[in-house]
This record gives sequence, structure tokens and C-alpha cells, in this order.
Amino acid sequence: MHDMKRRTLVLAAGVVVGGLWGAPAMAGPTPSMLSNTCAGCHGPQGVAPGPSIPTIAGMPYNFLKLMMTEYMKGDRPSTIMGRVAKGYSDVEIDAIAKHFAGLKWGVQGGASVKGKSVDPAKAEKGKALAKECEKCHEEGGKKQDEDTPRLAGQWLEYLQVKIDDYKTNEKYPQPKKMKSQMDKLSVEDLDAIAHYFAGQK
Amino acid sequence: MYNLTRRHFVKLTGGLAAAGLVSPMFPTLGRASQGKKHVVVVGGGYGGVIAAKYIRMADPSVTVTLIEKEKLYYSCPLSNPVIAGFRDMKVQRWGYENLAKHGINVQHDEVVEIDPVKRSVSTAKSASFSYDKLVVAPGVDFKWDAIEGYTEKASEKIPHGWKAGPQTLLLHEQLSAMKDGDPYIIVAPPMPFRCPPGPYERASLVAWYLKQHKPRSKVIILDAKDKFAKQPLFVGAWKELGYNIEWVPVNEGGKVTRVNADSMSVHTEMQEYKSSAINVIPPQKAGKIAHAAGLVDKTGWCPVNQKTFESTVHKDIYVIGDACIATAEIPKSGFAANSEAKIAAAAIVAAFKGEPEPDPSYVNTCYSLLSPDYGISVAAVWAFKDNAVAKVSGGVSPEKATPAFRKQEASYAESWYQSIMVEMFS
Repeated sequence: MHDMKRRTLVLAAGVVVGGLWGAPAMAGPTPSMLSNTCAGCHGPQGVAPGPSIPTIAGMPYNFLKLMMTEYMKGDRPSTIMGRVAKGYSDVEIDAIAKHFAGLKWGVQGGASVKGKSVDPAKAEKGKALAKECEKCHEEGGKKQDEDTPRLAGQWLEYLQVKIDDYKTNEKYPQPKKMKSQMDKLSVEDLDAIAHYFAGQK
Repeated sequence: MYNLTRRHFVKLTGGLAAAGLVSPMFPTLGRASQGKKHVVVVGGGYGGVIAAKYIRMADPSVTVTLIEKEKLYYSCPLSNPVIAGFRDMKVQRWGYENLAKHGINVQHDEVVEIDPVKRSVSTAKSASFSYDKLVVAPGVDFKWDAIEGYTEKASEKIPHGWKAGPQTLLLHEQLSAMKDGDPYIIVAPPMPFRCPPGPYERASLVAWYLKQHKPRSKVIILDAKDKFAKQPLFVGAWKELGYNIEWVPVNEGGKVTRVNADSMSVHTEMQEYKSSAINVIPPQKAGKIAHAAGLVDKTGWCPVNQKTFESTVHKDIYVIGDACIATAEIPKSGFAANSEAKIAAAAIVAAFKGEPEPDPSYVNTCYSLLSPDYGISVAAVWAFKDNAVAKVSGGVSPEKATPAFRKQEASYAESWYQSIMVEMFS
């Protein structure tokens, strides 16, 4: 009995200080075990070859965590992510968000089907229209802070799908500032903005 | 040397020294005795390639040899659009040349024998490789004898198209050439088989083609089952899209008992069906080498430890992908093979380091196309709990959805394909 108690105590202590056997930072699957399964859709190391599933590598931790949590709770409409995100606990979502936030944004070559390509005329028009957007999505959409996702070089079709989500669903979750801009701009203007950001490197 | 078997003796006298027995053919591919671990992966598909890559990523000190017969890989997922004529076969084709960049030694050869005691494999080109751990990912093989008359030879006239390649193109040719008004016949197999929604995706896309080009024709599915994957979604879409598809389940006489390739006919117990375009997807079992190595049980598939994918028959051999028996819920899909490969790779690397078996996370996502702009999906996440694989979440696309939703999923199907293939072959 004495041994048993001791073992239980040691185990409990292990959990508290953040890991059994000192290896993974939590009980259950490691962050990479959890995150590696995302690659099948979001590309190796979170860099998607397109044309429409977004690259998630290097996105801000807060952004990734918020998105996954909203998908998990059913607060964010989706085609498939709601069904997937419900498979993870808060702790696991936190680990996945940290994992991808720690990877490097990149452009994955090698895809044999190219996505819709950026139209330079639309991108030019979009650049002029994107002034308000760039107050948060700074430096041509490259800069990412706490919860602002990168737009520069993101897949065009993904940005277009998101615009459609924002414009067709009043309740689609988004920051107030974002919503006020979305409401002001026409679908056509937003499409031009999508071309502009997708074309940034 | 006293326990040398006759088989090994034949090999030795034939001048083919089994590596690890006498002098290794590949001196760099040493075993534990030399401190360097060697993993051999049999089969370069959705499972095998990922296992090889992830072992190298997790521990670059491990030597990995991938043995795959073919020099080119043709993906089954998204090959149905090739049959329906809206996708080029070239988009399905990939090569193994980039794997060397990851330190994977690729051998284009066929493993014909596995010796689980000596821990070595021998190949058709008479090479021999010793291993510390072996990953077996051979995919499926067909039960040629299960439907009378459906032999490998017969499949040259009545293709299965269940391994992407020349048969995929043959199915496209037959569809293009068939007479308007003739039926297109698909014979669907019993469970378990590779890609459970596959026959119904194929039926949908053939119907999409027929609607435009041969409006008097219809698809007849003769099924050995009375239900199928994503059924309400498929059936709903067939109605919505105006497809002419007749599904004959087993309880209404759908089971095909005989095939005649000379007269281009298939027979159920009740009826004979004739057409110039017939697709028989035969009943399946684990790939040939799994049988030769005795890795299968009486079901014809390979039982494995659900946490590590190590064979429960032979130690140090891991069976992943279509050939293994994951829990009944995890389908024989490309994505499942990819997920299983990552779990097995982590288990192998942990075992080399003397660490406990890692807790796995299993995921499947699978898209089916019903037209170029109409996609549906199934997804699931499983965890290992109380010594078993337990589903945590998942489900199929909603039965009611807007055309924009279906179009998004069709686009994600393409993106899924690009991501999973690039993960394998870049």
C-alpha cells in the first residue's frame, strides 16, 4: 500500500509539473502527434499547396486558438472544421495552436494543379481599396500580431471563400472593426482586395 | 549456422548472401549491433511513404529503405474524375525522386519474402535487406476467385479500376465509347474494402457524364451490401442533380455471382446484365506480401496493436494502411493510412529510444465528388482510451446545404489532394 500511494503521489506530481516521465508536456498525445494529422489537408508543416485550404504555419497563436475554439464550440460556421475541432480538448487545441504558431510561414511549391491566379489589374485596384484593411493587416498583410492573421500570399480562393462567409452570414463571427469595413465594401471591391493580398509575397 | 534453413541455404549457394547473415550487401545498412537502426518500408503509397518520411524526421540517425515496385505512383483518390473525363491522368502521377532529399533509400523492387525471425526481407531482384523494424504497407489485393469468371485476365476487358493506372484510363475509354441507351454497370464489393464511398463517387461522376453525353443511359450499381458510406448524402444528391442511377442492394438481388468477359455480362441470382461498359470492383484482402509473410488472420487482413500498429502475429513488423485491421470504424482510406503511418513512425522511433509507446491521435478526412462543383466529406478524430480506439468527434457533411457549400467542399477535395500528395512526394 505504501508503494502504491507513493507511486500515485509521484504520478500526480508529474502531471502537475507538466508531464509524465518528463517527456511530453502533457498526458495524452504530444503536440506534434496531434498537429501532424493536420498536414493531410493543411500541407506539410502547415504550408498548404492550395488552391483553397489555407496555410496555417506561422499564424499567430491567439488567432489559431480562437479559430479552433470557435469551431469546437460550434460558434464558427464551417464545412468540415467544426466536425474535426470537436475532437480536441482545450489543452489539445492550445498545444496545436502553439505548434503551428511556432512554424514558419512559407509557400509550398510542387502542386500540379495551380489555384486561381492573381489578376494584376484587380490587385492594383485592391491595393488602393485596402488602406483601411492595412490599419490592422499591416505591411501588405504580412505583419501578424496577437490575433491578426497573415493575408499576404494566402491562397486567393481561401480569401474569396472567407469574403463570401462574411458577406452572406450576418452572424459570422468577426471583430467589430472588421465587420464595419466588410459592410462598407462591395463584394467586387472585396474581391479586388483579396487579389491584392493574395499577390503579396 | 546450424539453424540455417533450406531456404537460406538455397539463397547462399545461389550466391545471394542475405544481408546480416554473412556479409551485408549494403554495408551502411547495419543493424543494432553497429549502433545504427535500420527500418525497411514495404510499399510506397499513402501509408508507406509517410512512415518512411516521419521516421527520418523524428530521428535522422535511423536508416530508412523504402521498397516499391513501381517507379511512378498514381493516386486512387481523385482518379474517378479521370474516368468521367474532367481530370488529366497526369495530375494523378507522382514520382519518388524527392525522397532521397529526406535521406530515404528508395529501391524499385518487389519484396517477395519476409523472414520475421532473421528480420530480413528478400526481393524479386534477389536483394536482401535486414531490418530492426519493418513497416508493411502493401495496400489491397483482389480475391480473384470470389466471383466466378472474374479473373485477372477478365479484368483486362471488365476493369476494376481500383488501383489507379491503365485500368482507370480503360474505364474512361469504355464510358466514352458506350452506346447511348446502354447501361453502365458497376459491381460494388462487400465490406471491408479500400475507399468505402469510392464506388458511389464513381457512379455519381459516371452519371454526371452520361447526363451530358448519353442521356438515355443510366448507371446500375449491383451491390453486395445493403447500405454504403455517406448513403443519405449520395442518394440525396443523385435526386438533386438529376442523375439516373439505379442501386440494387444485396437484399434485392444485387449480389453478382458470375461474370463473363467474353459476352460482357454479369449475372446475379435473378438476372443477367449486359453492356459494353462494365466495372467490377472485386472483393478484397490485404496485399499479397502480407499473406506470404503470414501477417493475416482468417479475415484476410492483418491484426495489429491498435496503439502502435505493430503486428500481433510478428514482433517488429508494423502493418499500416488498407492491409491492417484498424478498429472497424477507421476506414480503409488514404488519409487513414497517412495518419496510421505517423502513429507507427512515432512508435518505432520511441521503441528505438527505449521510450514508452506514444499516445496516438488518429484522424480521417475523406472527400467525394459528385460533380466538378459538388463535394461531400466525412471526418473523424479518434483517441486511444482504455486500451481501445475511441471516436471523439466526426460526421458527414450536412444533408441540406447550399450549392456554395457543396462547391467549397469540391474545392477542398482538390486542396486535400494537393496537400496530402505534396506531403508524400515533395
